[in-house]
Amino acid sequence: MAALTLDALTVKFGGLVAVDHLDLQVRDGELRCLLGPNGAGKSTTLDLICGKTQPTSGRILLGNQDITNLPEFKRARAGVGRKFQTPTVFKDLTVIENLEVGRSSEPGILTTLRVFRSPVRGRMKEVLGLVGLENEIRTRAENLSHGQMQWLEIAMLLMQDCRVILMDEPTAGMTVQETSQTASLLRELRGDHTMIVVEHDMTFVREIAETVTVMDQGALLSEGSIEAVEADPAVREAYLADTGDEAHA
Amino acid sequence: MNTGFKIDCIGYGLFAAFVLLVMPWMVDFSGYELNSYARYLALGMVAAALALSWGTAGILNLGQALTFGVGAYIMAMHLKLRASESLPGGMPDFMGWTNVEALPWFWQPFHSLLFTLGAGVLIPVGIACLLGVFMFRGRITGVFVAIITLSLMLAVQLWIISEQRFTGGENGITGLAPLNLFGWSVDTYELSFYYLVAGCLLAGLAVGLGLVRSKAGLVLRAIKADPERVRFFGYDVARYETLAFATSAGIAGVAGMLYALVLEFASPTYMGLSISLAIVIWAAVGGRESMVAAALGGIGVNMAEGRLSDLFFDQWTLMLGVIFIAVVLFLPRGIYGLVATARDYLEARYTERVAMALNREQDDAARPVADRGEVK
Amino acid sequence: MEAWVNEIFIGISLASILLMVAIGLAIIYGTMGVINLAHGQFVMLGAYGAWLLQTQYGVSIVVSLPVVFLVVGLVGFVVERTIIQRLYHRPLDTILATWGIGIVLEQLVRNVFGSSSRYVARPEFLEGGYIILGAHASSYRLFIIFFSLGMLAATWYLLFRTEFGTKLRSVIQNTEISECYGISAKRVYALTFAYGAGLAGIAGALITPLVSVTPTMGTSLVVDAFLVVIVGGVGSLVGTAASALMIGEATAWLSYVLNDTTGRILILLGVIVLIRFRPQGLFPDTVRR
Repeated sequence: MAALTLDALTVKFGGLVAVDHLDLQVRDGELRCLLGPNGAGKSTTLDLICGKTQPTSGRILLGNQDITNLPEFKRARAGVGRKFQTPTVFKDLTVIENLEVGRSSEPGILTTLRVFRSPVRGRMKEVLGLVGLENEIRTRAENLSHGQMQWLEIAMLLMQDCRVILMDEPTAGMTVQETSQTASLLRELRGDHTMIVVEHDMTFVREIAETVTVMDQGALLSEGSIEAVEADPAVREAYLADTGDEAHA
Repeated sequence: MNTGFKIDCIGYGLFAAFVLLVMPWMVDFSGYELNSYARYLALGMVAAALALSWGTAGILNLGQALTFGVGAYIMAMHLKLRASESLPGGMPDFMGWTNVEALPWFWQPFHSLLFTLGAGVLIPVGIACLLGVFMFRGRITGVFVAIITLSLMLAVQLWIISEQRFTGGENGITGLAPLNLFGWSVDTYELSFYYLVAGCLLAGLAVGLGLVRSKAGLVLRAIKADPERVRFFGYDVARYETLAFATSAGIAGVAGMLYALVLEFASPTYMGLSISLAIVIWAAVGGRESMVAAALGGIGVNMAEGRLSDLFFDQWTLMLGVIFIAVVLFLPRGIYGLVATARDYLEARYTERVAMALNREQDDAARPVADRGEVK
Repeated sequence: MEAWVNEIFIGISLASILLMVAIGLAIIYGTMGVINLAHGQFVMLGAYGAWLLQTQYGVSIVVSLPVVFLVVGLVGFVVERTIIQRLYHRPLDTILATWGIGIVLEQLVRNVFGSSSRYVARPEFLEGGYIILGAHASSYRLFIIFFSLGMLAATWYLLFRTEFGTKLRSVIQNTEISECYGISAKRVYALTFAYGAGLAGIAGALITPLVSVTPTMGTSLVVDAFLVVIVGGVGSLVGTAASALMIGEATAWLSYVLNDTTGRILILLGVIVLIRFRPQGLFPDTVRR
């Protein structure tokens, strides 16, 4: 069953069609990589799914639920989580406070007014272990390294326990070692969570990808296994036409 | 999220000791000055209320004096009715002068003390809820919140001045009876009244601290940093902002009621531009991040004003302006910022030492660090 | 008919005063994001400057304008270099600091000149008035209307047709890159702030015949000017002019139909609704991005 379905999703900014009748289906538990040259509409697609941008037309289904017209916080409650390109953690808060914000299964005021502690046990402990931040729980997020901030944001999404996680360049700015650690982290998460990952780093994509979707100029260009996509002449043409250098980094 | 909870409690305890013991001791537990001190406490309370919305949630309310003034008017209306019992129709004198025929319906319920006390909290809260929903559902932030709150306050102030028949107009409501609180006739120059004000202030701070230190307070701090991001975790940001805004309004309403008691009149200047910005100044001087610090800022600045304006007359205003510029430039987090920096430094030193000790232990026994368990 | 024309004229006249006070504020807020609550005190300084020049040296307001512009501009320059400059990364804090500056300026003026109101005579050649479509229009008010439009045009010219304006706009869009090209952002900001302050001074000098000059005259002016700037849209000169006209006319008409106070209350409420549903202002951002 599809965890996420995009149905002829379109958004126009003035005259520019950023996403053009995009159809996409992501299975439950799948890790889908979203590729494409600069300006192909990858990040915009994620923005549309999480509600940052409203589509001009088309539908977004989460499972069977139509979330096209829901505000951001209701989509989050329905099970959409978003990791932004630059790490957006709350810099003034400590690691554990960030995770507590992430643990939002009961986001109502009446509940949160009665919570005063963040015990490090159960899921919290598990997640801290997964991203290797057990020894940093009292550190303020602004004092973390760039890679640790990225992991903290991923950890917050894990605490949120969302059905579909949207990740925009999770390895941006990471060292080679950190990138490979992130790859193994994502492989661990596969199956429990449905993930859509926008990524430029092809080494990273090869490490994690099952199915790859390539976008160009807002539309779907090619979809399939990584080998099949790389062999697709349309994909080669799109990347060659683009002067960007990210195609086979 | 409980980092600093203990420190908060210590700060709160010290503050309580200061307000309950040190301040009355400074005037030998009696005398005329206790009344002024009670006034400082009421002003400190409204500064703390502002810090709750501004410092915690990042909502700069330039109309904080609105809810403060509403509280003051509500108390004054009750006391005025009590003072007017012997007058024709039980109507306040200014209504008689302007030929109002009967006591208007919205004055009627203020005969009741219980209604007055409830209204002093709930009407400000209600105003803030309506305004909060109106603004925050539209994702209004920053300077726009400041302008909207300011404009509404000025509009209400103008309305009160213009409707002299019902509100006493420019003169406000004067000639009040003393408050009779369930058989206790309140004398605002007595120690017992001072403790009533202090009790209200401490209760207000306790409510605020409870909110700030709960997970809701954590979410508010996150909203202050990045409201967009908080939405993507499923929190209804507008509702949280309204919560902080309304709680702040309730505390300000109580402060206003106390202020009207202390000064024995209510005036439209209570909800003016000057006092509103003064409240912001007090909170900034004390430290907007902490309600206790903001309350101290309000008490301290007003106490200094009481002392120094006798010495320097008008020049006090000049000094206040200079002090304020200096605080904004050099102490952006207020005096609390100094304390917090010192605290962070000590904490860092402490954790460093603990870590070193643990490492040594680890090397000695070559065994893993024991599970740290719960974080308090 | 006459009454109608008369109200329209009163509205335009109010709008011209609002516009004069607001342009300087709009420049400072629109370009630097500084919420300058001391702007009203700059206006007040201008008014006292005109009064001083007239009572001491018998200089007419119109002649005193360049002096007032330079002196108040200099005050603005000093304020920017000493205080505002340190606050560019904390825009909301500028509200607090400039309020403090306002308190200081107000008290200094009170120390020097006392609190009593002062009056300034309008220039002789602008005495009297005209009858336009049956309504009386005083020539001084007409003069202010044209002068405010002149200030608007001059500011537009400065921003969009001079080298300084180009530098300013490039600094606003990207400070770092501009500095790489040798533009001193500090200098540009300081001069812009000084220019805004100078305009406030001119506005203050010109309104002296219409209002009484007191140390506290700035406070109410700054609130109104602020509403004009926010409603007009940050950084948009056209927006500022349009919103000044709108608020001026609304004030005139509501005061005529209802009364002064109710009119003002309704305008404040109207502004609240406008900001809520159109926070970007009537004419959104053309300079700042």
